[in-house]
Amino acid sequence: MLEIKNLHASIDDTKILKGLNLKVSTGEVHAIMGPNGSGKSTLASVIAGREDYDVTEGKIDFMNNELSELSPDERAREGIFLAFQYPVEIPGVSTTNFMKTAVNQVRKSKGEKPLDAVEFLKLMKEKMKLVNIKQELLSRSINEGFSGGEKKRNEIFQMAMLNPKLSILDETDSGLDIDALKIVSNGVNTLRSKDNATIVVTHYQRLLNYIVPDFVHVLMDGKIVKSGDKNLALELEEKGYDWIKVKN
Amino acid sequence: MVESLNLEKSISRELDKDVKLMKSNTLKNIKGSLKTYKEEYKYTPLFKKTANKIQINDSKLDYDIEKIKSSIPKNDDYKIIVIDGLYKEELSKIPSGVLINKYSDLSEDMKGEFQKAYRGFDDSKKDIFSSINTINHLECLTICVEKDVNIKNKISIINFTNSTQSSYFRKSILIKKSSYVSFSEEFLGSTEEISFSNSVSEIFLDENSKLDYFSCQNFRKNFHFNSINVFQRKDSISNFHTYSFSGATIRNNLNILLKDKNCYANMYGFYAIKNKSHIDNHTTVDHMDENSISNEHYKGIVEGGSRGVFNGKIYVRQKAQKTNAFQSNNNILLSDNAKVNTKPQLEIWADDVKCSHGCTVGQLDEDALFYLMSRGIPKKEATSILLSAFSSDITEKIEDDNLRKHYEELILSELEGLNYE
Repeated sequence: MLEIKNLHASIDDTKILKGLNLKVSTGEVHAIMGPNGSGKSTLASVIAGREDYDVTEGKIDFMNNELSELSPDERAREGIFLAFQYPVEIPGVSTTNFMKTAVNQVRKSKGEKPLDAVEFLKLMKEKMKLVNIKQELLSRSINEGFSGGEKKRNEIFQMAMLNPKLSILDETDSGLDIDALKIVSNGVNTLRSKDNATIVVTHYQRLLNYIVPDFVHVLMDGKIVKSGDKNLALELEEKGYDWIKVKN
Repeated sequence: MVESLNLEKSISRELDKDVKLMKSNTLKNIKGSLKTYKEEYKYTPLFKKTANKIQINDSKLDYDIEKIKSSIPKNDDYKIIVIDGLYKEELSKIPSGVLINKYSDLSEDMKGEFQKAYRGFDDSKKDIFSSINTINHLECLTICVEKDVNIKNKISIINFTNSTQSSYFRKSILIKKSSYVSFSEEFLGSTEEISFSNSVSEIFLDENSKLDYFSCQNFRKNFHFNSINVFQRKDSISNFHTYSFSGATIRNNLNILLKDKNCYANMYGFYAIKNKSHIDNHTTVDHMDENSISNEHYKGIVEGGSRGVFNGKIYVRQKAQKTNAFQSNNNILLSDNAKVNTKPQLEIWADDVKCSHGCTVGQLDEDALFYLMSRGIPKKEATSILLSAFSSDITEKIEDDNLRKHYEELILSELEGLNYE
């Protein structure tokens, strides 16, 4: 599904990704772990198409399309979803209206008819249950005045609405209490299927108790330095990232 | 500039004795004040742009009345139709409780009442265009809302500019005790040629009265100078909503005098400036007595090559303890060569007040734009969503649901015409 080859990316002439390789197939969950500043969030942003980052070398291939040609909205319509580490607050735009526009844009690109108000409401009600989010919250301005947990639940709600092929969760767990973490993880697990894939970017092993990965990669200084199964995460938790540094 | 105008001619044709006196006094005043007004027009280059447009109103009598009729919305709403400053009773529809007359037709008693408004505000040292209006206007339209009258449906004031040179509009509005009225004013051109319109409205709000006033300005390549002077007695409420979209030069002066205790004034403005337009909003609020509230919020979006000017002044006089006065101006510039000059000002002589003022000039929030796009919304739509959201804290102040919807839709269609590069 996703194949990243020798990816180099920089922001304002600072090199952040320095030759990253990653292959994700359908039905898989990959966890990307690493210390602060290793390039985890950059990787997530580059896949989603944030324009602040320059891809200087390498390729990202998604469903046999070269991604660098596509704008962020085109990537989203192709089926890429980024759950933000810091969801943006947008005063004056309600989540409901925003999602209606987004869902119908995605449908349009697939040649499907836009949902009418009744169909949309039905879809929304169904997905709201998944992350235990209330309608009042969704009729408010996007993320404005939301608690940390509400913001992250809103991200997973949007993911459920858009039903992406590849979901990237950028530190979705940081700042969440255990109850919110359970709700968010439960949402993600429910959405897992053999037809989609998930990349979980995280700093802490804790999340991986709830979203169990098939593969764990360690990102350091812009490269993946070690890959393994879920046990690698446990080992990291115990020994710290220095353990890998020393080994290298 | 003023010397080149044959202002004496305007005075000599005036028939009303009192008005003639007012006009010649005003002419005397402005001769001495040419230098002092320039500061107020610092960012609006008047001489280059407008000097040759300021002429005496020689209203053409041969205008195409059918064309004008076809531009008047065909509905049962109340409306006041004015062509080149002259009131057209046969085209208007006035609710009961509202009296409309030319000043010169009023009884001596009524003239006395209106003199509070008609003559009370001319401050030629402040604004030369008001003075030129005072001298050049053909008739002053007086609108009197009688005591204890509550007019639920808005009254549209539709002004047509027909003269190829200059049109002068003069209104004096008296809202008597405990009445409520809502006006929605616009200016429409009836020729293809570039026009210059100059409007002065003086509004007197008596005790416990309430006014809603909407201005919708889309002047394209035309010039428009507008002054609204408001005088409020105790317990009165005024709400001004000014929406500006285009104009070679638009200048709005909104001056509110809160004379007594417990007055309330709200000023909301929104501008989306495009096609090399220049839109200048100057406001003053003068708190003269205790316990009054004023609240001012202007927001605007400016595209490349256009310019916005905001200058807001709040005065809190020594007697005006317990005043609450707030003022803010927020701008989004869409390109490197879009310009905004903004100056919020506050002068306080009283010591027990709550006041704030501030302004921001920024650009479209890139993080928010990326957020919307990352959900599949194309850049153009995402930009429109953000810009119309930016306007929402101004439009949400419109209490009437239909009118709010009308302005929201208008803004959305105006935003589509903006150039983002």
